Amino acid sequence: MTSLWQKKTSSPMLVGQGWLARLRRATWNDQRIEWSGYFFVAPFLIPFLLFTVVAVIFGAFVGFTEWGIIGTPKWVGLANFRQAFGDPRVAKVFLNTLRYGLVIVPGVTILGFTFALYVNQRWPLSGLVRTAFYSPNVVSATVIGLVWVWMLDTQFGLINQYLGRLGIPNIPWLTSTQWSLIGVSIASIWWDLGFAFVLFLAALQDVPGELKEAAQIDGANRFQVFWYVIVPIVRPVVSLVITLQLIATMRIFSQVYVMTNGGPALSSSSVIHYIFNTGIVNYRLGYAAAMSLLLFFAILAVTLIQQRIVRERV
Amino acid sequence: MSGYKKFTRRDFLKVAGLTAAGGTLAACAPKAQPTEAPAVEAPAVEAPAVEAPAVEAPAVSKPIEIVHWSWLTASDGEVWAKMIENFNEAHKDKGMSIRMEVVPSEQYGTKVLGAVATGQAPDFGWGTGGQMAQWVKDGAIVPIDDYAKKVDLDLTDFTENSLKASRYPNLGGESVFMVPMDAMSLQPEMNTDHVAEAGLDINNPPKTGEELIEWAKAMTKYDGDKVVRSGIMMTGSALQPCVTWGIVSAQMGFRRASEDLKTACVNPDAGKEAMQWVLDLFDKHKVSTRDVTDRYKAFGTGEGSIFWTGPWTLGGYQEAGLPFISFLFPTIGKEQRTYFELGGLEMYTQKDAGRYEATAYAMKWLSDNSFLWTTVGRGAACRKSILAREDYKTAGLPWEIRGAFIEGMDFAYEGEIPVLAAPNFTIYAGSNFLAQTLDGVWVGEKSIDQAMDELTAQWQADLDQG
Repeated sequence: MTSLWQKKTSSPMLVGQGWLARLRRATWNDQRIEWSGYFFVAPFLIPFLLFTVVAVIFGAFVGFTEWGIIGTPKWVGLANFRQAFGDPRVAKVFLNTLRYGLVIVPGVTILGFTFALYVNQRWPLSGLVRTAFYSPNVVSATVIGLVWVWMLDTQFGLINQYLGRLGIPNIPWLTSTQWSLIGVSIASIWWDLGFAFVLFLAALQDVPGELKEAAQIDGANRFQVFWYVIVPIVRPVVSLVITLQLIATMRIFSQVYVMTNGGPALSSSSVIHYIFNTGIVNYRLGYAAAMSLLLFFAILAVTLIQQRIVRERV
Repeated sequence: MSGYKKFTRRDFLKVAGLTAAGGTLAACAPKAQPTEAPAVEAPAVEAPAVEAPAVEAPAVSKPIEIVHWSWLTASDGEVWAKMIENFNEAHKDKGMSIRMEVVPSEQYGTKVLGAVATGQAPDFGWGTGGQMAQWVKDGAIVPIDDYAKKVDLDLTDFTENSLKASRYPNLGGESVFMVPMDAMSLQPEMNTDHVAEAGLDINNPPKTGEELIEWAKAMTKYDGDKVVRSGIMMTGSALQPCVTWGIVSAQMGFRRASEDLKTACVNPDAGKEAMQWVLDLFDKHKVSTRDVTDRYKAFGTGEGSIFWTGPWTLGGYQEAGLPFISFLFPTIGKEQRTYFELGGLEMYTQKDAGRYEATAYAMKWLSDNSFLWTTVGRGAACRKSILAREDYKTAGLPWEIRGAFIEGMDFAYEGEIPVLAAPNFTIYAGSNFLAQTLDGVWVGEKSIDQAMDELTAQWQADLDQG
């Protein structure tokens, strides 16, 4: 029987077989292409290209147009960006987002590291602490927001009840322009803590015991062991947590939406929340897309700066 | 030698290809029938009997399922679900049914527009009269005049206010873009226990601004300097102070736009006076507090004595056992006015224009049988024939909680401004341009003059746009 891969006289089936043979023999940089590999990644790659890459490119295009979902987008060039730069509300929400970063990132990092240390040292109730501090992370942000709305209620919230016993007057956590951002940040720190805690705990458990023992034998006290042995080893994880938390915080939305809806007077609104209101509630998709692009570049800049700082210190 | 056969790469590719083909075929299979929505219990009020349709359903060659999107989820949503159930029951042998899908209100607009853009729009849905000018301009909503004639829907039976709110003179001339279902107004609800506690006469509620403040002061409770029970339920920002300003400013003579929709902010001094009136509730009279987060819950749990809101709250508060009545909005300014909102059904553009007549028939049936909706569900009827019924006042929720919302329609004039940028003008809003501008005043970040200047500039630009 003639091999299927031998060249034959032309017929549709035989032409197809020749094409298939050429495909099988195809090379790239002198290496044969393994088509089966692409077949394996296709179920992820095709949706990723369609729903992420194409969507991002389309979103970037929409940023240069005026569009209300129906009809074709109308090209307006840089008008949306000019409007964003001149809109005091945009400046306010970017500033709010930066403030969220300044409160939530250190809060999550320091508290997460502290509780990871506590558990790693197997101090009393460390098993309970491990569960207690991770479990909020498995609950959705919406549920967290709804619970904390009640916890932070000015008159009847648990937090103010306990503060009242310490003689501190009721704090308007969610109804005051001074406190609303703090109130949302508290809920966010409580929610995000679990993930950072797990990462830090894993890093601490990876610190070789011999290094700590050697330092102790050399006369280092507990603080010196912590500062000169443990911290340098876990520094890459600290950098990772800070980077991830920065990106997550700059995208904060659910807690803001559920707890305060950005109020009072935009004092707790974040960039994503403002984009949501602009695009989804007010159907100004072009302007919303332009702000999304600005946010993307802001996150990129902050991340690069943060990475640079951490790399220089390592 | 082992019986094991080597699984070659070619074998793997054959199996994978067959699996992918099988998956593709399965994806192309007809969709499974949607599961029925869970049965909704009718509210604990005897519903009037459903009348037989006066007009025969249009002849359909095959069963037609009309798709309806609704955002109603509170106690009014239960009554609306009952209305749909009644329709389906009445038409089960006629090959026509309505499939209702509940869409969260904040997503409703985007989802409908997206569905229209892709040709997958629901047949009809809920709309707010006067706010849909942009949708009309974009061709998302179908005018109902011709279809009303086909299905014998008598537009002269609708109140003039409701038809006016369903038109967009700048766009569609006299065309009607909605079947008005119920008219709502904002009226005060008052906790009767608080009234009795303060020794006030429940049968003689406040009628003027001065009386309102006196009553509020009598019912407010303090802890030192702080208000712990509001005489007038308010929040420090967002919707409640915004709509309060809207109503009070209109009573004082301010108009967001002139009658011809050419000039913004008519009589701005009245608007400024109204802003000060709202601020005085917190800072001068101290009958309200900025510390309320959820005004509905706060009133429902007795944290406030007087709360102006809409008829959509009546069923829920009654079910919760709250002791309250409603009364007509006092005249705080020169004339008695309050907020007006029209809820109605609008028909969305379809690929298959043949569906419009059946959809129009369904909307007509729901309108003809809206006695249940307008006595138990939500607002006042828009049909003169229903308003004229002898049992209209006695059916449904008790008149002492429902009456003000019906009688108050006589002075409910502050509706939507029917221009493309209508959402910017809406006074019943918590995060639109108006609310965000006023929020700055309520929290002391912006002066009253500054806020009025911003409103004038933006609204004039919006009116100039058409």
